[in-house]
Amino acid sequence: MGNAYNTLVVYPEKCNGCGECEKACAKAKADSTDIVHSRIKVLKNLEDEYFGPVVCMQCGEPSCVKSCPAGALTKNPETGVVEWDEDKCVSCTICTLGCPYGGIYYNPLMSNVMKCDHCGGDPECVKVCEPKAIEYKTEANVYKDQGEREDLFAPGLAACLGCNMEILIRHTLRHVGPNTVLAAPPGCVPGIAVVGINGFTGTKVPSFHPLLTNTASMLAGVRRYYKHIGRDVQVLALAGDGGAADVGFQSLSGAAERGEEVLFVCIDNEGYMNTGMQRSGTTPYGSWTSTTPVGSSLPGKSGDQKYMPLIMLMHNCEYVATAVMAYMEDYHEKLEKAIQASKKGFAYLHVFSPCTTGWRYPQEKTMEVQRQAVATNTFPLWEYEREAEKFAFTHPVDNPTSMEDYIGMLGKFRHLSKEQIDHHRNTVATRINLLKAIAEEGIKPLKAAV
Amino acid sequence: MQTKYLIIGSSHAGLTAAEEIRVHDAGGSLTMLTMEDCLPYSPTILPYIVEGKVEEKLIYLRDEKYFQEKNINFLKGKKVVNIDAKASKVSLADGSEIAYEKLLVATGGNPTVPPVPGLKEANYLVLQTMEDARKINEVAKNAKHAVVMGTGLVGMHAAEALGKKGLQVELIRGRRRAVLPNYFDSDAGKLIHQVFLDNGINCDLDKHVKEVESANGKSKVVLDSGEALETDLLVVGTGVKPRIDFLGDSGIQADKGILVDNMMKTSVENVWAAGDVAQAADFYGKEKVLTGILPDASDQGKIAGLDMAGDKAVNLAFDEIGGQAALSYRGGVSMNTFNFYGNKSFSVGLSLANEEDGYEIDTMSLPTSCMYQKLVFDGDFLVGAVGINVTLDPGILVNIIRLKIDLKDKKAEFASNPLDMSRRIMWDSWRGAINTAG
Amino acid sequence: MPKRIVVDGNEAAAYGALLAKPDMCAVFPITPQSSVGEKVATFIANGDLKADLLDVEGEHSVLSMLQGGALAGARTFTATCGQGLAFMFEPYFRSPNLRLPIVMCIVCRDGITPQCVWGGQQDAMTVKEVGWIQMHCENNQEITDSIVMAYRIGEHSDVMLPVNVCFDGNFLSYAAEPVEIVDEEIADKFMGENNVNWHAALDPERPMAIDPLTGMTAPGGEAFARYREGQCKGMQNSLRVIPEIHKEWKELTGHDFAPLIEEYRLDDAEHAIMTIGSMTGAGKDAVDVARDKGKKVGLIKVKTFRPWPLKAMVSALSKIKALSVVDRSVNFGWNCGPLYQEVLATLPFLDKKIPLVSLIGGLAGTDLTIDHMAEAIKTAEDAAQGKVAEETIWLNKMY
Repeated sequence: MGNAYNTLVVYPEKCNGCGECEKACAKAKADSTDIVHSRIKVLKNLEDEYFGPVVCMQCGEPSCVKSCPAGALTKNPETGVVEWDEDKCVSCTICTLGCPYGGIYYNPLMSNVMKCDHCGGDPECVKVCEPKAIEYKTEANVYKDQGEREDLFAPGLAACLGCNMEILIRHTLRHVGPNTVLAAPPGCVPGIAVVGINGFTGTKVPSFHPLLTNTASMLAGVRRYYKHIGRDVQVLALAGDGGAADVGFQSLSGAAERGEEVLFVCIDNEGYMNTGMQRSGTTPYGSWTSTTPVGSSLPGKSGDQKYMPLIMLMHNCEYVATAVMAYMEDYHEKLEKAIQASKKGFAYLHVFSPCTTGWRYPQEKTMEVQRQAVATNTFPLWEYEREAEKFAFTHPVDNPTSMEDYIGMLGKFRHLSKEQIDHHRNTVATRINLLKAIAEEGIKPLKAAV
Repeated sequence: MQTKYLIIGSSHAGLTAAEEIRVHDAGGSLTMLTMEDCLPYSPTILPYIVEGKVEEKLIYLRDEKYFQEKNINFLKGKKVVNIDAKASKVSLADGSEIAYEKLLVATGGNPTVPPVPGLKEANYLVLQTMEDARKINEVAKNAKHAVVMGTGLVGMHAAEALGKKGLQVELIRGRRRAVLPNYFDSDAGKLIHQVFLDNGINCDLDKHVKEVESANGKSKVVLDSGEALETDLLVVGTGVKPRIDFLGDSGIQADKGILVDNMMKTSVENVWAAGDVAQAADFYGKEKVLTGILPDASDQGKIAGLDMAGDKAVNLAFDEIGGQAALSYRGGVSMNTFNFYGNKSFSVGLSLANEEDGYEIDTMSLPTSCMYQKLVFDGDFLVGAVGINVTLDPGILVNIIRLKIDLKDKKAEFASNPLDMSRRIMWDSWRGAINTAG
Repeated sequence: MPKRIVVDGNEAAAYGALLAKPDMCAVFPITPQSSVGEKVATFIANGDLKADLLDVEGEHSVLSMLQGGALAGARTFTATCGQGLAFMFEPYFRSPNLRLPIVMCIVCRDGITPQCVWGGQQDAMTVKEVGWIQMHCENNQEITDSIVMAYRIGEHSDVMLPVNVCFDGNFLSYAAEPVEIVDEEIADKFMGENNVNWHAALDPERPMAIDPLTGMTAPGGEAFARYREGQCKGMQNSLRVIPEIHKEWKELTGHDFAPLIEEYRLDDAEHAIMTIGSMTGAGKDAVDVARDKGKKVGLIKVKTFRPWPLKAMVSALSKIKALSVVDRSVNFGWNCGPLYQEVLATLPFLDKKIPLVSLIGGLAGTDLTIDHMAEAIKTAEDAAQGKVAEETIWLNKMY
């Protein structure tokens, strides 16, 4: 992972062509009212009502930089801004040939090229954009922070295209760091060779391929011994839903109940995807899997999903949270809390992890499926901190989007009848109502009756 | 000496290749050679050095610190005289040898000197290296009169630079009776020519050099007309050809330049070539061509670096799913800018095409303001464009040409408002690419 | 000064752990093993044993936690039996393959069904091919001492395997006997430095993948075969190491136990009986009685059952003309006792064929008495005279 930077994000569909950004830019950069000095250009002279800001994208691999014969353009490794050095520039304008986005222009009044510099981190154009067609996104900070840490996952992997796991594993390992023992029970995680294959390792941390059934207890043993000899070694489980909710549940439950100092991440792809998409305890109602097939006599899975996060909450874990990779900052915040909690007791992260192959949706929709699952309250994001006696939604959804929009994205639900979809809606509503009730009541012990 | 990667040449192709190699292989030993005595620079900058627009010390593309950080062994003053591909080693002018595992030839071009009687013996200068630029500046200091041979980019640019230094400049065309005939049609060329004349450059396109005589360190340029121009400084800028005189019996196949495939691989195992020295795929036809264009050199260098050090399987996989042009070379689109006396011009794609060849041409010309715009369409596709002192984004136009975007019913509006329409198409293709992927 | 105490077998096992000073002890109850865990937990609770107590939710996690601990470098101890062993089978059959020198008692219990919570060696015999070293004890002193020795055997760099110290449920687990507990310093000297995971470890200071996927295409399949071959070599090496360790223990403590098999009054015997575990006491008494009557009979006690001590066995069997084998469990595939079958497989290594008789008794906590052993001696004597029982003889069976 390279460095990530703050950036201007433009939404042409929101732009109304008002041109305020150009005025603000010309004022800020040249103290002029002539928008020829603006480094942002608005499409507004077209026959139809089509608008949109054109501005430098501050590319990761800027072709303007590579095209400059004078070394006058450089990408600043700290800020990510492609910087222009007036002293070096010879005005050859070859950079304007290189840029495919129209992000660098020749200014005939100044006899020089010019380009956006983010106003040093506080872009004027953003402040004046009433329809919010330009935003200055600073969310990438998490990538910046993590980008500086070592990637502890080997390059290359054997996952399906579009799999959610690579990003999860790389981010998680970067964050937990090298003083970690990793265990990944049978499933997609070792299936993509995380624990190594034929003499080669998949990670730069010690890794183990435990049984599907014993990840939590085996890691607890590792942690116990290191503690016994006075070493603080992080232990981390990257387990699937089978290794957590089904056959792995006993050891998980036992370890959580004993308060073993384990960080257990359940990567829930709602089934046994590595073995060919069989149903698990977290497979949702009505879902097609290879063992809950859909035919004239069977309509997919007959029972409801087991809701692991609340089950784990009732184990008095130090920390329990639900997360998705689509909300990366949220994930890292929770991961950090989980790491700290796992030095005192059991920490459980339940990550909703769509499977392009088993759920049957296009590869590039993995993040979108997660966002929809959150937006429909199918997978609410929350966290529980035992010591702080805190239960809170981290991404509350007050006006959930249509369940049909989520279900419609997924091939495994394509056969659902109206009744089955209603069943889903009810399950989701029941769950969110229960969670809301917990959030409202709070986790604190009841006050003694007066 | 032994190295995993050896790169001969340190301009855009070589530098980009090194950068790409380091993306995939942080530790493999990498040696970069330049025959010159200075840090890497772009030959494109040289006329600006002559002009005095920028100081030499400012224009180097990399510094020593960069090479240290990237763990690149950068060696100055190392001229390769032979490649022994069988033994995987090169011989240097100083008699030493360097063994390599993978070799990139990125040696750029050598100036060509036209077969004019007496020219070879004359005290002429070219403008291809930093040393050349320094020499011209040295001679120009005490010169009053200069003759520049060649009306291509180098010749034109040198003429302007010397004129601005106060020399009386005589600019004499090369083989073709036009200025910048590779990039501008005669209408555009005339505009540019006039600006040179207006700025005191003598440039009669009817004049042609017959022979050159030398006496007392001075040259006398004799024209077809019999006119003789005695001059203090004779600059030859009639073109370049790939620098391949060291291939020896390496077996590396070359035509005008070193022949390479779409991954910039030569005919010989473990040898690649990129940049002005390479003769590579053409964007339009099947024949391999020289491009000699800066952005192309960078593209080729990146591809060569990827192929030398990168993950072949990844590249193959990309190829199988429809491919990214960036990952294999699909041919360069001609493009250049030419800026003269405060005027800006560019030429992209099939800029010289005309209606007789079946193209649709849309031109706009305001000679009094030195403005010119030409759009070349092949059916509903933009294939070329020229602009002098007009506001357009040449890079967007290049991309529209390169991606072969069908303008359909937008063509008419495009012709009347190319600036905004090209930006809109940029948006649509950019976002469309994302949306259609879904 | 060594101290003499009177303890039952389960307590004797806990004292073995106390002497060996493991880093981790995992406990989970099952009859007749439960009091091993209770006693160990008490030692830890009182500070006598500075080990981590793993009070887990089932046998599966018992062994799983010990595997994790051992992979990090811990000396580990636990005990189980019967259904508990069956439930732990998944991590159990992986422990030897991981080459982890875990020490675990099997307080032998018969297999259900019929439902039964009493002694019988069906559990240990069922897992004999899994790759653990199995040592069966005759009395409580041997339990204590064998547990201490088991660490040294398992941790030996030529062996690197887990060890089961097996003893009979009920007959030893609950039977009190005097046991001499050696001095702590002597035990410490004997135990030396922990030598658990020098070869492979889950340790961030030397990161490696333990147990990556291995198989199929080269070099996977070949690597797997080499790994297995090495594991089998380790098992065979233990036949050299076990006597060495027993000798060392004897020199330090004076406690003398036959490491592989014990030959009792065998040198001039014409026929013999073979015993395993606590029945050996009754067997020896029966041999003494028969000797008093002038019968030339001896006894072979099997201490090390896995790996099978082939050479020692061939040497012992070469001395006699007939053998009766008493088993406390059954081999369903062969309609005989498992021990009998092992001897059967040994016969081709002898210069001459000798007749064998299979007797099965003492199942589900029933007693094997001197009378039963006398019956076994009689069948051996008959066999030596050509009257070989063709069918397995079931002792203490309801008619």
